[in-house]
Amino acid sequence: MLITHTHTHTHVSTMDRECASLLPSVCEVLADSGRSVPDDTSLEKLLDWFTGLTEAGGSLLEACPCLLKFISTVVHNTASDPGVLSFTLRLTGLMAATEDGFKMLQERSVLNQVFNLQHWQEAGLWDDPCLRIGWIQGLRSTLQHPKALSFFVQSDFIDPLLQLQTDTSLFVASAANQMLAHILLFFQKVSSAGSNGVNKKEEDLEPPAITMETSAEYSAVVKGISEYLKESLIPKENTKLHQSLQILKLLALLLAQAGPPLRDKLLQTVTESLEELVTAGCSQLTLPLMDVILAANSSSCPDGRVPGQRVARILSSMLSINNAADLCHAAAALLRRGHHDTVHTARAVRILLLPLDIITGPTLLGTNTTADEHLFSVVEQLKSKTSCISMICVCLTNTPQITLTPPGVLPCPPVLIVTAVVSLLRICSGSSSSSSTGCSEVCRNVIGSGKVQKCALEALTALNSSPGAKEKISEVFTILIQYLDNPDSDPTVLHKSYQALVKWIRVCTDLSLITDQLRQDLVEVVKKRACDMRWEVRDSTVEFLGHLAGVHVSVTLGEEVCDASEALLGGCCTTPLLKEALQDTESYVRASAISALAKTLTHSWQQGAALTEDQTEIVSRLLEILSQDTEGFPRRAVVQYFISWFFSRSSHSPPSSSTSSTSLLMQCVRTVLSQGSADLDWEVKVHTLELAELLLDQAFSAHRGYRKGSDAHCALQHPYGVVSDQAYTLHTHTGTHAEGVQSDLARVVEQGVISALLSGLVDCDRPVALKACRLLITLRETICPLSLGALDATAAMATVSCELLGKGWGQEITKILGMEKSDRALETDISAQRSFSGADGGGDSVTVSEVLRSLSLDERLEVLTQSSDHIHNSPLSLLQDILTASAAHTHPDTKPGQEVIVDCY
Amino acid sequence: MKLYCLSGHPTLPCNVLKFKSTTIMLDCGLDTTSVLNFLPLPLVHSPRLSKLPSWVCKDGTINLEKELKECAGRVFVDSQPEFCLPERELLDLSTIDVILISNYHCMMALPYITEHTGFTGTVYATEPTLQIGRLLMEELVKFMERVPKAQSATCWKNKEIQRMLPGPLKDAVDVWTWKRSYSMQEVNSALSKVQLVGYSQKVELFGAVQVSPLSSGYSLGSSNWIIQSHHEKVAYVSGSSLLTTHPQPMDQSSLKNSDVLILTGLTQMPTANPDGMLGEFCSNLAMTIRAGGNVLVPCYSSGVIYDLLECLYQFIESANLGTTPFYFISPVANSSLEFSQIFAEWLCHNKQSKVYLPEPPFPHAELIQTNKLKHYPSIHGDFSSEFRQPCVVFTGHPSLRFGDVVHFMELWGKSGLNTIIFTEPDFSYLDALAPYQPLAMKCVYCPIDTRLNFHQVSKLLKEVQPLHVVCPEQYTQPPLTQSHRSDLMLELQPPPMPYRRCSVLNLPFRRRYERVYILPELANSLVPSEIKPGVSMATVSAVLHSKDNKHTLQSVPKPPPVPPSKKRKRVMEEPPVVLAPKPLLSGAVPLEAFLATLQKHGITEVKVEETADGHILHLQADDTLIQLEEDGTHIVCDNNEPLRTTLRDLVLRFLQKL
Repeated sequence: MLITHTHTHTHVSTMDRECASLLPSVCEVLADSGRSVPDDTSLEKLLDWFTGLTEAGGSLLEACPCLLKFISTVVHNTASDPGVLSFTLRLTGLMAATEDGFKMLQERSVLNQVFNLQHWQEAGLWDDPCLRIGWIQGLRSTLQHPKALSFFVQSDFIDPLLQLQTDTSLFVASAANQMLAHILLFFQKVSSAGSNGVNKKEEDLEPPAITMETSAEYSAVVKGISEYLKESLIPKENTKLHQSLQILKLLALLLAQAGPPLRDKLLQTVTESLEELVTAGCSQLTLPLMDVILAANSSSCPDGRVPGQRVARILSSMLSINNAADLCHAAAALLRRGHHDTVHTARAVRILLLPLDIITGPTLLGTNTTADEHLFSVVEQLKSKTSCISMICVCLTNTPQITLTPPGVLPCPPVLIVTAVVSLLRICSGSSSSSSTGCSEVCRNVIGSGKVQKCALEALTALNSSPGAKEKISEVFTILIQYLDNPDSDPTVLHKSYQALVKWIRVCTDLSLITDQLRQDLVEVVKKRACDMRWEVRDSTVEFLGHLAGVHVSVTLGEEVCDASEALLGGCCTTPLLKEALQDTESYVRASAISALAKTLTHSWQQGAALTEDQTEIVSRLLEILSQDTEGFPRRAVVQYFISWFFSRSSHSPPSSSTSSTSLLMQCVRTVLSQGSADLDWEVKVHTLELAELLLDQAFSAHRGYRKGSDAHCALQHPYGVVSDQAYTLHTHTGTHAEGVQSDLARVVEQGVISALLSGLVDCDRPVALKACRLLITLRETICPLSLGALDATAAMATVSCELLGKGWGQEITKILGMEKSDRALETDISAQRSFSGADGGGDSVTVSEVLRSLSLDERLEVLTQSSDHIHNSPLSLLQDILTASAAHTHPDTKPGQEVIVDCY
Repeated sequence: MKLYCLSGHPTLPCNVLKFKSTTIMLDCGLDTTSVLNFLPLPLVHSPRLSKLPSWVCKDGTINLEKELKECAGRVFVDSQPEFCLPERELLDLSTIDVILISNYHCMMALPYITEHTGFTGTVYATEPTLQIGRLLMEELVKFMERVPKAQSATCWKNKEIQRMLPGPLKDAVDVWTWKRSYSMQEVNSALSKVQLVGYSQKVELFGAVQVSPLSSGYSLGSSNWIIQSHHEKVAYVSGSSLLTTHPQPMDQSSLKNSDVLILTGLTQMPTANPDGMLGEFCSNLAMTIRAGGNVLVPCYSSGVIYDLLECLYQFIESANLGTTPFYFISPVANSSLEFSQIFAEWLCHNKQSKVYLPEPPFPHAELIQTNKLKHYPSIHGDFSSEFRQPCVVFTGHPSLRFGDVVHFMELWGKSGLNTIIFTEPDFSYLDALAPYQPLAMKCVYCPIDTRLNFHQVSKLLKEVQPLHVVCPEQYTQPPLTQSHRSDLMLELQPPPMPYRRCSVLNLPFRRRYERVYILPELANSLVPSEIKPGVSMATVSAVLHSKDNKHTLQSVPKPPPVPPSKKRKRVMEEPPVVLAPKPLLSGAVPLEAFLATLQKHGITEVKVEETADGHILHLQADDTLIQLEEDGTHIVCDNNEPLRTTLRDLVLRFLQKL
């Protein structure tokens, strides 16, 4: 058993014999340029497998000596497929990743051949991006130890690698960048060993063995690369923009991870170029440049060393560039980075607030906006519609962040920002009058812009946590209700307005802040939107009602807490609207209405309140949906409705009187279980099993040894581990235990739980069968612990039986039991004999405990746990596939190299 | 070229264009907002309306007990409602040659113009415009004639009295010119003058100009007009729409390159997006029905109602309103619904293609078939026996002053469960509701105006590039109530020329060319000489013959040979002596070469002075001036004829003779 369990791990870490025997022929196939090549993915998978083997500590060379031959064959055959060549290069790199492997390959001069640039260029293969990326990735895998570094330096690979950094293929260029970063970062400790070693503590990986030689080599590499960065950072003409972009990316990568010596060295070399780049003011480079500057700034120590000051200066000039849109982006980048230098943060905040200030009228920045020297250029930019919208959106996206900056940094109290966003929303809807707004030429650009509306609503939603938000609640409600009422609001805008409303309701601890007029308006608008022509809007409205019910507020300070929908909408509006929505033509709306109803009623369920007529009506409608609705979503929602009802109920008091909602629930459960487990939709079935699980929990949680659904999963890893322990404890209490279990079991059978589980077990949908199987195992462990054995089953237990229908799942179960029976023909089991006697197509009655023991649940679980593609995913099948494919393709007519090779890695 | 503006209402225009020798009236819209000053005409006796108190002047000086009634603080005229007609004094309407109609809403004043004014011209309109226009007029006449009012209030119109009146009555303009509705006979007579045209059909007017209608996309058969001569083009844009509703889409490209574009009929609701309004309409309707109330939709019997019904057709199923009855009540309801189905060629492409299927273009046919939509000529008769509540009623008139809607207002106004939904943009809903106050019924205003909005029209004008734009003054500034919305106005370069009622505009372009035909034999006799490569000239002597605004050059008739007669007869008329024409000169006198020539001829003392148009040569010795200008050369030389002749010949040397 144990072996099968760890089976899946086995084939990753060690090479099993079967694979080892197939590998040589696979190598042969791959090396034969005449044969057609398997598709890219199988080579990738093969490589993944090899990587797995290497990482597990195995030596590829030892495990599969054939690979060496394979490599030299392929490398010497220029007619090889580029895909296979690329694969070979990467494989070689993988093998040279350990010093031993490297040494062996070098002794056989394989490395020199494989990574010989000239060789590939002469063969005309270098033009294939596939090969170039293979070369880079192969080298990168190799560069894990000082010997590799020497090899790299001595082979003069640094220049070609730098060239590849601006390769026409984006993938190659990016790989080259990663590789450059890897070299500098991986070996950076080498240099510190050479110097005084500033950062000895920070060692994480085992340091590469350091010699004076490697140290010198490393310095040469650093020098070479940083000189190159310095030289090429400034775009000579527009066409070179790509190069600058790449270098900035590399720099950002390096600066974020470099230790002090490397970082200082880099900064010393490139600072000047960076300064130049900032003054050049190239829009496309703004963001990557900002990334570099911020990375440099955050890594430089606050001890006031010279590079730190210079970087700060660059940052300052970045925050005063001329192009207003770029400036906004730069400022936003600074804030996003969570930079904590107050001077720059304050400046960034001002920059980001300025456009908002211009549009909504001067309130945010005080009267001295003229001091912002770029005011004029911002206004000019805002006058053009496209740049206006994009700038405003950048500003809005950052407003929540802005309100979180320390008070000293903000030019105004955070609450004014809320006011500004609200005014902007007013302007956007065209309702703001001229007196309160700012520049009218700018305002007209945002009137009716859906994009700005959405951004502003998102900002407003996030601003609910900003200090002082509470005093703005009435204003915010007014604008949101206005948006909800506006006939021109598109469905997304309405959705976001609802979201904002829910968030802002949470802000008010005291609902008296919201006037009666506002409440009335909200009721009207919600009623209207519940009848909207667009189903998305109806859906959002129904969802909103549900969310509202989930928010608890107090009506006035200190008073009793109730849910927000009752407090805001007066309670008389929600349920009728949701009931209406149950009839909606759109299934999503019906589904949302059902879950919203569940949320609305949760409170009364928890209180154990008496059943209302409304509730009974809803329940019968829900059962109707479960049995008749043609769409899956509403049916799923119905089952979940009952789950949450059950859950809310059971967390409180047990069923008391027959008029309580709980008794209705228990009546419904049987129907839900039988309808739900016969549903066509697998998710409905899974939810039904979840309900069954709750019933099991309820029945048996009081019994020792019963594991609730939540712990069941971890238990499954060791199906027998716990049981033996349990069996022991159970044994001592057999008498009383069995009786209690028996009555509980009888109730569970009566509720239809067992039927639901059994029908789930034979379901063709794996998740359903799996869930059912797990639950059945849990049940079996509770009612008939193993150690008691079949013979020890008490008579009491044996009396609890359930019906198996003569068709469908019942028949299926009967069949399985029949097979089991014939296996155990020798056993004399009276109850079982009795159970199987009536095979005339009618309902059979079987003993539950017997069924549980006879279904070989553990074997089933074993099969069900494995993913459906587990057979196809093994390395063995991969190797077999390659061989079969090649055999099938080796047709006299097939010419090699006819397939189109796509640049996709 | 002149434009006389007879109406100040931007969507109900009435303009007269004098172009070449023709006088063309562009639309004749009837401003019916005047009826809002009158009391509603109830179909069934209304105790409430009849008990309204008379208005009494505060100081008691005026007594108009019978004419003015007061309701909820507003004063109404208790009389047959009257309409505000287009200006009739600005020019003599009998001189109008043709009237071009753009759509059925813009022709309601037609009988006032064509009857009793001496009008003798022709009216041009498309077939749906004529037919639906007829329906609307017929409906109007029936609404009025069904409930005749004995008295006609006129005293309140007295200027002295009107000045003392409160509210909107005081400010009403030209009340003396307001007229009661026309009769069916006048309608028939007016419509008999209509000549039908199809889109892009070219109609010659007296040979002077050509007019042709273009699809405008606003309503069935609605059109814009192109009025052009050989060298000038005027585009008249009236109610147009770019939305895909039922009519054929708007033809924009034919409007290109006009000298003047007269722009009227933009949306009256620039801030109300028709889609949003339609959504609003549907959700309010559903909300009311669900709550057990009735919905009243005051509307015209044609136009947006087709789109409303189509939208509802899709909506009622999804909103579970399948069992709610929809009633359409109008004297012309049946004809309107049926007409819409037969004008296939005037419909949008989508609907046109349905004509080839066994399926009517509009889904309201199916609503009627399944009994979901029922139509009746009035509330009397069948309707009263089939009437079921809650229901939705579509009925006119949208002003709420006459028609069956008045009855429903009285019937449903008292209950807060019912809703009235305004969809027509022509009337302020608050004014429309004024005589029904206090009102418990819920009111929803969702005006659906599919005409061009300012954004669309700016884009359109950018594309069609007219040299000049003429438009109502209302379009040149933001709406009064939203002065901050600078996006709700026309901003053009050069700025548009605004007009108001009674404006007379001189359109800013001069006619510079006229086409003249030349007869073949005359053309044959011409001797062209090339004056520069590709350009030849010839002199023509001919007789210009003008008839029907066509101009033809004919050969000069030879004098008839004198018949040999022995009788001595006094020659009555000398045959015209045809003199050999003097040669025409062309070319320019080059200054340098001319000075050189003068020098050769011994004239050396020349002072050259540069002027704005050329040069003046001052021959100081002889006290003579030679002015060389672009279009003339003058030699000022007194008392020295030989010198003058010499100089003339020298000048002539440089010129070409034709």
